[in-house]
Amino acid sequence: MKGPLDGLRVLDMGWVMVGPVTGRYLADLGADVVKLESSRRVDPLRTLGPFKDGKPGLERSISYHNLNAGKRSLTVDIKDSRGREAILRLVEWADVLIESFSPGVLDDLDLAYPVLKARNPALIVASTSLLGQTGPHARGTSGVGTMGASMSGASLLLGWPGHAPCGTYGPWTDAIAPRFIVPSILAALHRRRATGEGCHIDVAQAEAGIQFLSPAWYQYAANGTVMERRGHAGSPLRVPHGIFRCAGQDRWIALDGSDEAAWQALRTIVGGPLLDSKFDTLIGRLRGRQELENAISAWTISQQADELERSLQSAGVPAHVVSNSNDLAHDPDLLDAHYCHIDDPIVGDAIVEGPRYRLGRTPERATRRGPRIGEHTQEILRDLCGYDAAAIDELKAAGVLV
Amino acid sequence: MLHDIRVIELSGPETMMAGRILGDLGADVIVVEPPGGAAGRRLDPFLDDTPGLDRSLTWHALNRGKRGITLDLGKADGRALLAELGRSAALVLETADRKATAPRADVAFPTSTVRCRITPFLSTGPKRDYFASDLIVTAATGVPGITGTPERPPLFYPVPQAMMEAGAEAAIASLAALSARDVDGLGQDIEVPARLAGMMSALSVPIVVPANNPELQRTPARQRLAGVALPGIFACKDGFVLVSFAFGQAFGRLTQRLMQWAVEQNCLEARLGAVDWSTAPQQAEKGSLTAEDMRATVDAIATLCLRHTKDEFGAEARKRGLLAAPLMDMRDIGQSPQYRERGLWSSPVTVGAEGCTVDDPARFAQFSNYTIDVRRPAPTLSQHTAEILKTDLGLSSAEVQALFVHGII
Repeated sequence: MKGPLDGLRVLDMGWVMVGPVTGRYLADLGADVVKLESSRRVDPLRTLGPFKDGKPGLERSISYHNLNAGKRSLTVDIKDSRGREAILRLVEWADVLIESFSPGVLDDLDLAYPVLKARNPALIVASTSLLGQTGPHARGTSGVGTMGASMSGASLLLGWPGHAPCGTYGPWTDAIAPRFIVPSILAALHRRRATGEGCHIDVAQAEAGIQFLSPAWYQYAANGTVMERRGHAGSPLRVPHGIFRCAGQDRWIALDGSDEAAWQALRTIVGGPLLDSKFDTLIGRLRGRQELENAISAWTISQQADELERSLQSAGVPAHVVSNSNDLAHDPDLLDAHYCHIDDPIVGDAIVEGPRYRLGRTPERATRRGPRIGEHTQEILRDLCGYDAAAIDELKAAGVLV
Repeated sequence: MLHDIRVIELSGPETMMAGRILGDLGADVIVVEPPGGAAGRRLDPFLDDTPGLDRSLTWHALNRGKRGITLDLGKADGRALLAELGRSAALVLETADRKATAPRADVAFPTSTVRCRITPFLSTGPKRDYFASDLIVTAATGVPGITGTPERPPLFYPVPQAMMEAGAEAAIASLAALSARDVDGLGQDIEVPARLAGMMSALSVPIVVPANNPELQRTPARQRLAGVALPGIFACKDGFVLVSFAFGQAFGRLTQRLMQWAVEQNCLEARLGAVDWSTAPQQAEKGSLTAEDMRATVDAIATLCLRHTKDEFGAEARKRGLLAAPLMDMRDIGQSPQYRERGLWSSPVTVGAEGCTVDDPARFAQFSNYTIDVRRPAPTLSQHTAEILKTDLGLSSAEVQALFVHGII
């Protein structure tokens, strides 16, 4: 069996993260994904690290490979009328078009959904931007996922009570939005198989972020309580439940000894103050939380986090190192079955991430490298757009293929 | 769009978001719980801070739109009824109980059924026997390990995130398998390790060290210019705002506009406003942009922010096209004309028995020819058991009563 989306044709006009990640999901599932690029206005992701061996270069960004693995790249000047026509030929070829321009840009290029639909009525167009295409603030709001995180309520929730919020690590909604765009596309494809109907899908990245925080919304809407940042990693209703400092610089272990079996196991290994009878009951542990957490910290502080993870797990206590970039790079599970080697003519051997699921019968494609800028322009124009060699030469000479 | 798809969700915290997304896209989702209720019913916060099996707001948020039945899968009758119900389902969602190698529900489904199981870690990897919970999986994603400041412990969201990440990823994987099923009519088994799903929010953190770069440190101001840290969050009149200093070809002009605004507001001296901010890093390297200049610039932006409310700041950021936004809390989100007029909110959903209703942020996507709406509130415990057993499986009233008497439903 081939990939579940084998034969699906996708024109990926996104850049940086949300659009490209959406396209990569489809590529992993077997779709033929053509990424539109420009060497004049380079995808900013190509200028963002990490770079292989720390050496910057437009073809050296491992992030670019990670989000664009398995795609083909086409460079066409979309503002030129001949370039626009080439894009419209791809629109006829495509089943799905992904775009993440600032709202209004496609209208200015006369490539808004009605124009695309006229060329291909069955086309599924997914548009994504920070606040979507509609609403009083949609136009004029463009930028990066840290802004999406701010407007989804996430940034305020990270930090310490009484201190300024720390905000999310990076553009959080860039990771969340594709999780709502891809299901929307796949559901629209399911309907299209039955009815032939295309559609326009519009996902606001900040609204996607709100979905992951929906319990906080319900708490406000039903109880009138605005959830606040609390600093402490664990739940106030569970104990011991949180993170504890280990030996070394900025090393921490997360442990969850809150259910009865885990608590008994933890108590046995740590011993000492944890054996006190006041910790026999949950209520006793809640009331003695500070003392209990101090005792666990005193026990973890001299230990190596990764060894502690293994010993707690073998005793039956849910625990894991609070993984940092180095832990992830050396994690046995990830080395075993998540990281994939790619072989790229410019960066050589490099590691990107594989898919985040396992399909038993229709395995995802082997993870491939991302394309170089415009690497497949000629073959795409010839094979997908139907231009002959002379026409391609003409476009090239006119400076449209940059 | 998925109106012909029935989903059976053997409810666990991680399945809830998956079933919610599929239900929103039109699927008929039936939640199956043990007679004592699913684990998701015991997740805080609770309605009026009063616990109860029908009072979890996390449950309500993630199960509205679904129907619910109870079945004891530890008993032969429970398993047989689930198998029978499974004949009408295209997809079964389930979760591993605490570790990836925990046995699956011992129920056979037809070969046309897609069976998607969410595990904490890979069931085939070295951590397959790891005991886990949301906190543990989240710790393993790399997200907290890069969040916060080095003097204080790493930060976690006060809303569990591993279950959200895993559920959303499971929706994608399930729909992919349903696409294959559309072609050949066959189902398959899927595994979604929550840890891998959650690593998506760690962005590029997993690939930094494998590309031979030094490991990342936790620091609030990642960016420095002329040795001066550039904060990303500033206090404003009534809260906080995000201001990104970005440089280079694509984003430098946005920083230029911010500086222009600061000059107009007499917060920043004109000389600094006139700097070509797209090349600021290169100028700092050459020494033409000094540490003193950068300190003055950061102070100016701090002053500019303090002069404005979140709303004023947001309006100006939109007007000028800045890389800046207000930090909104749930009250701000509820009041935002953007979300309201765009149509994020569904019609009101009932929560609890006392008639409290909330608007639900259901419309995660706007479609040209489909509207996400919430068809019903989250099921109370066992709300639809009798209805489904009678209508779908043809059980008699006496049989349903017998199942109840024996604790199976």
